[in-house]
Amino acid sequence: MTEREVVVKSDAGVHARPAMMIVRAAMKYPCEVKLIKDNVEADCKSIMSVLGLAIISGTRLIVRADGEGESEVVDTIAAMIENNFKSNEESA
Amino acid sequence: MERTVQLKNFLDDTGIIDLQMRLVAGSAGLDKEIRVAEINRPGLTLAGFYDFFAYDRIQIFGLGECAYLGQLEPEEKTNVLREFFSYDVLCCIFTTDKEPDQLFIEYADHKGVPVFVTKKNTTNFTSSLIYLLNEALAPSLSIHGTFVDVYGVGVLLIGSSGVGKSECALELIERGHRFIADDVVIIKRVDESILMGSGSPLLKHHMEIRGLGIINVRDIFGIRSVKDRKRVELVVNLEEWDANKLYDRLGLEEKVYRILDIDVSNIVVPVRPGRNIPIIVETAALNQRLKKLGIYTAQELDKNIKESLKKGDTGE
Repeated sequence: MTEREVVVKSDAGVHARPAMMIVRAAMKYPCEVKLIKDNVEADCKSIMSVLGLAIISGTRLIVRADGEGESEVVDTIAAMIENNFKSNEESA
Repeated sequence: MERTVQLKNFLDDTGIIDLQMRLVAGSAGLDKEIRVAEINRPGLTLAGFYDFFAYDRIQIFGLGECAYLGQLEPEEKTNVLREFFSYDVLCCIFTTDKEPDQLFIEYADHKGVPVFVTKKNTTNFTSSLIYLLNEALAPSLSIHGTFVDVYGVGVLLIGSSGVGKSECALELIERGHRFIADDVVIIKRVDESILMGSGSPLLKHHMEIRGLGIINVRDIFGIRSVKDRKRVELVVNLEEWDANKLYDRLGLEEKVYRILDIDVSNIVVPVRPGRNIPIIVETAALNQRLKKLGIYTAQELDKNIKESLKKGDTGE
C-alpha cells in the first residue's frame, strides 16, 4: 500500500473536470485507488464518488493505492492535485 | 464508531420533523457536541439530588420543572441554579412554550448553555427529539455501490467498477422501480437490526453512465422514479463470470453480508454478456419478500424431494 498526503490549492476545488482527470488517471492502473478526506473514502475510479467528497480549496487529502502500479498512480494523482490540475491531461 | 454531532448542526438538519424550537439564551454553547441519544428530566436534580445527574444529555424542562422553579423563593432559586449550572450542562429545552425567567437566562448565557423554548408539549417533543437524536448519532458508513428500491425491497448492488451496477439500475428504473443512490451509498444503523441507505446530499438523484456522463434520474424519468431513503434488505454482488468458480445453484444456504455489524441477506450474481441482470435482481427481490414470509423455496423443494424418495415415489 502506498499513500501520500496532499493539500488542494486550486481555488475552485475538485469540480467536475478535475474529478474526471483523477478518474482517468486512476483507470489506467489495475490497483485500487482511494481519496480520503476526513476518514471518508472515495473510489478514484468513480466520478460520482470523487465529486461526492465535496473537496474545496485547502482540503487535506490522502491518496492511497493498493496493488499493481500503486506508487505510480499515487505519484500521478498527487502531482495532479499539487499542480492545480494544470497538466497536459487534455491529451488523455 | 462512536458518533457525535454538534448541537447547531443537529438543529439545522432535523429534516421533516419540525421541533419548533427557538433559542433564548446561551448561543455561545452551540458548538457543543451531543454524544448520547438520550435526554434527562432534571426534576430530581433541581430538588437537590445530584447523584446520577446526566448533565451531558439534553435537559428537558417540562411543566413540573417549571412549576418547581416558579415556587422557589428568589434566594433559594439562586442557590438551585448556581448548583445546577456548576455542571457542564449540554443544553436545556423548555417545552409547552414556557419561558425561563431572567435569572435562568443570565446563568445560561454566563455558562454558555444553550436554552431553547418549544411550543410542543413534553411527550410529543421528547419522542420526536429521541427519534432525531438516534438518527443523527447512528453509526454510518459510505459504501461504493448502487441502491435501488425493487418491489419495495431495498437492494444494494455492489461490485467492482465497470461491472454494470449503474446500467442495471437504469434498466430497473425503466421497469418502474425506484432509484435511491449511485456510487456513494450512505448507510446508517438506525436500530439494532435496521440499516437505512440514502445518497449523498450533494449527488442526490445523479448517476454516471459510461458513454453518457452524469445524468439526473429524477429529471429524466420523473419524480416517481426516485426515493430518498430506504431500508437495506438485500445485497447483490455483481461479479465477472468466473468459469472456475462454483456459483450457488440451489439457494439452500442463506448467505449474509455484514454491514455495521448487521447481517443482510446476500446473493452473488455472475455477470456475463447477454445475461439479463435486472430480471435476476427483480426475482431476487421478490424471493426476498417470500423469505420474509417464511417461504424458502429451495428448502421446501428439497424437503418434498426427500419425502418422496423415502416413500419410493419416483413422481411418475
